[in-house]
Amino acid sequence: MRRPYQHNPASRDEMAGWFGTPNATRRVWEPLEHAGMGMYVGEAIGAPNRDPSRLGTLPVQQRRPKFASQTIFVMNLWVVVLMLVETLVALAISPVLLVLWLLVTRWPLAKIVRHFIWMYGRVWLWIVSPFVRLKVVGADHARLAQPCIYVANHLSFFDIFFLSAMPVFDVVICLRSWPFKLPWYAPFMRFAEYVDVERLPWEQIVAQIERIVGQGRSILLFPQGHRSRDGRLGRFYSGAFKLAVQLHLPIVAICIKGTDQMLPPGRRWMAPAAVRLECLKPIDSTAFSGDLGHIELRKHVKELMGACLVGSQS
Amino acid sequence: MTDSEIIELVNRSLVSEFELDPGVMTPDALLVEGLGFDSLDFVDIVVVLQQAFGVTLREEPRVREVRTLGDLHRLVIEKKRELEGS
Repeated sequence: MRRPYQHNPASRDEMAGWFGTPNATRRVWEPLEHAGMGMYVGEAIGAPNRDPSRLGTLPVQQRRPKFASQTIFVMNLWVVVLMLVETLVALAISPVLLVLWLLVTRWPLAKIVRHFIWMYGRVWLWIVSPFVRLKVVGADHARLAQPCIYVANHLSFFDIFFLSAMPVFDVVICLRSWPFKLPWYAPFMRFAEYVDVERLPWEQIVAQIERIVGQGRSILLFPQGHRSRDGRLGRFYSGAFKLAVQLHLPIVAICIKGTDQMLPPGRRWMAPAAVRLECLKPIDSTAFSGDLGHIELRKHVKELMGACLVGSQS
Repeated sequence: MTDSEIIELVNRSLVSEFELDPGVMTPDALLVEGLGFDSLDFVDIVVVLQQAFGVTLREEPRVREVRTLGDLHRLVIEKKRELEGS
């Protein structure tokens, strides 16, 4: 019988694929063990030289790890410096890459920019990998349900970065207005044709989304509208679900867990974390009808996500 | 239904359908700034209350003047009384 902390082999292979080497999971694990995480984790990611009897069996949320200040300092220095290098390199080479992508793929500009954003996120995942243990479950649900509406809970500023672990890149993100006002993000978001759902009237949002999904693309929304301050699933707004019902699109829920360990709202420094992304099976929105069908869909999705997030603790 | 029962049902319906905290359901709570409703929610509020009370609010011009939860209570009470009187 598999114990709660034993890894899912499929996840280990997926993770090896993300980070390029079969021993990537062990490389991720060792610094975390040195940082004191070994005794609290409820899930393993398959480091073959680890002693399972040393693992705790308590759910992750019940025991917050304490990290040496040196580990925190090294992590923050490492991530900030490498992110800066990554960003400068990306800015420097993106004009050339853009031309190359245009010539080779013949994709529209917006799709190429989304692809670049996704690759940027993938490199970021590698940057944080010595300090963040990432597990992705159910990635096939994300890949096979196109076009669809992805909905994800929101815990941290870095949630968008972690979503680059999904195997799909051509996803249009629908956001509130504030990120569009950040000068270092706004141009890329506009080129990627992300949707500002706070500024546009509802009819225009529907028309825009209809055009996007008509091209076979999916969209992503955070139904909570903002990061959770207490780690719980807060109130869900209805927009994503109204779109799903109106446009007859399936909903694929992505349950994000652990990103608030890395960087919760209100804290300015990062900490090592165990992050889990789980894609649930697509939900058929056509099963929800009537004037308030989207509200029933919203409640149903939230219930499933809540069960997933609680279940992944054990 | 008495006014208190109407208010209670309005609050219960909104708490249930919009995942609100019952503790914030005070008459002076602003619907947008206080309870966090957006423009889509207003459409749904009308439908929820129509289904709960059997009144017609969709074409009611007074809906546009509603700013607080207390305004909503008063509107529903007036509509309910109009319905009972007709």
